[in-house]
Amino acid sequence: MTAAALSRTAAGPALISMDIGHDAYAAVTDPNTAFWALVDKNRVDEALADGPLFDRYREKADTFARELHALRFGLKPSGVYLNPTERCNLNCTYCYLPDTQRSGGSHMPTEMLLASLGQLRDYFRSVMPEGRKPRAIFHGAEPLMNKTAVFAAINEFADDFTFGLQTNGTLLDAAAVEFLTARNVSIGLSLDGPVAGITDATRRTWGGKSVHGKVLAAMDKLKGYGSWSVITTCTTENLPFLTQMVELFHAREVPTCMLNAVRCTLPGARDVKPADGDMAQAFTQALDRTHELYRETGRKLLVANFANILIAILAPTARRLMCDISPCGGGRAFFALAADGNLYPCSEFIGLPRFNGGNLLATGGVEAALASAAFRPVIERDVDKFAPCADCAIRHFCGSPCPAEAHEMNGGMGMIGAFCEFYKEQVSYALRLIADGKANDYLWDGWDEDTETTFDLGC
Amino acid sequence: MTQTMPTQQPPHTAANAQPAAPTIAVRKSCNPDGIGLSHYVLMDKKAAK
Repeated sequence: MTAAALSRTAAGPALISMDIGHDAYAAVTDPNTAFWALVDKNRVDEALADGPLFDRYREKADTFARELHALRFGLKPSGVYLNPTERCNLNCTYCYLPDTQRSGGSHMPTEMLLASLGQLRDYFRSVMPEGRKPRAIFHGAEPLMNKTAVFAAINEFADDFTFGLQTNGTLLDAAAVEFLTARNVSIGLSLDGPVAGITDATRRTWGGKSVHGKVLAAMDKLKGYGSWSVITTCTTENLPFLTQMVELFHAREVPTCMLNAVRCTLPGARDVKPADGDMAQAFTQALDRTHELYRETGRKLLVANFANILIAILAPTARRLMCDISPCGGGRAFFALAADGNLYPCSEFIGLPRFNGGNLLATGGVEAALASAAFRPVIERDVDKFAPCADCAIRHFCGSPCPAEAHEMNGGMGMIGAFCEFYKEQVSYALRLIADGKANDYLWDGWDEDTETTFDLGC
Repeated sequence: MTQTMPTQQPPHTAANAQPAAPTIAVRKSCNPDGIGLSHYVLMDKKAAK
């Protein structure tokens, strides 16, 4: 364990209280182990003192500490984000990639992409258990700008990777859908508004044309496919319309969406950054609406980024995303390959040259990048070590994302991310759902099939 | 003289006291196989088409 973690563990388990805005319940947590309990809000002092809850927890505290430590520091990479081109046919106001790259950048040649995937396959085989496939996600700029190379790679390495594609959807014609769905490639789209006027505020072509209709057409093509999702990037421009957003997604049978707060890594994104309180209010109202729609129709629309927070609370090791944990997954659980062949901890860093860990096809490849001075500040960013996170009750449900925006927007890796209060409200909302017995309504069916219950009190 | 119960105030009994909310604490654990991504794309469902 780290020195900070050892020091905390040596002090023994301790619980601290947290108001979650519930009529009957407050939370108590041990942030060091991500343990939590919901207790009668009028008897919090009893819960914090020695008693049945504390006795039961004390028996498990070391196990939970080891589990969390392994999750935070013991993983090997199992995924890669592939950027097959620097170019994009859209000019979204908040993009984390520099506009000079997106407008006039280069494609990765097909031969280079194939050679890169061969190198990556060999690396993952060396660190992953036999029988598990690594995940390779084609990602922004717009990967379908270099469709020939992407499709050649998917064909060539179908047996070696589980593939995904995050696209703006504008180039997703019928033939592309047929190719991707026939190969079970997971597909993510992006849409920022329930109507064109809202989407157009942040997502347009370089010539200023709307793409709203094209994305809706792509969604229609994917209806009924088992593995697709839509991301809405939440900004000042669409925040009042998040509830309509989830209504549109549900009506079009989108199985999973993400309502991502805009990443504020580059200055353009900060111009449309919502205030934390506004973000929390709009987000939780949209979550409320997804629940109403589920109750009315029996069909869920999962909000995956919130589901991940819920799972981080209920089953820390079952979480799917590695943004909301510290250190984050960048350079640790996954990394990114830029179109020029260089490696970065995450795609979020591709516009920041100091985080370039070297070329994949050069001597050392992935191992050299993971050990590089460029990756180290990201891998070592630890909420146990800086204020105000070090004293926060929910720091291991949140992780203070994201290091790229902490570094660029707030001045360093030892600073908080862009949406501290929003994360606190998300965790409180999640704990209120657990208190009310509704948490499973916000999670995919069977989410806990491969888990075992290691602590169970009450219910 | 017969003893009567006051009618203005209900008797303070266990039956009408505010019941304590039961403590809830649940934790599940698994091998962390499913993790590894930052931008979520649903990777684990077979195509339905």
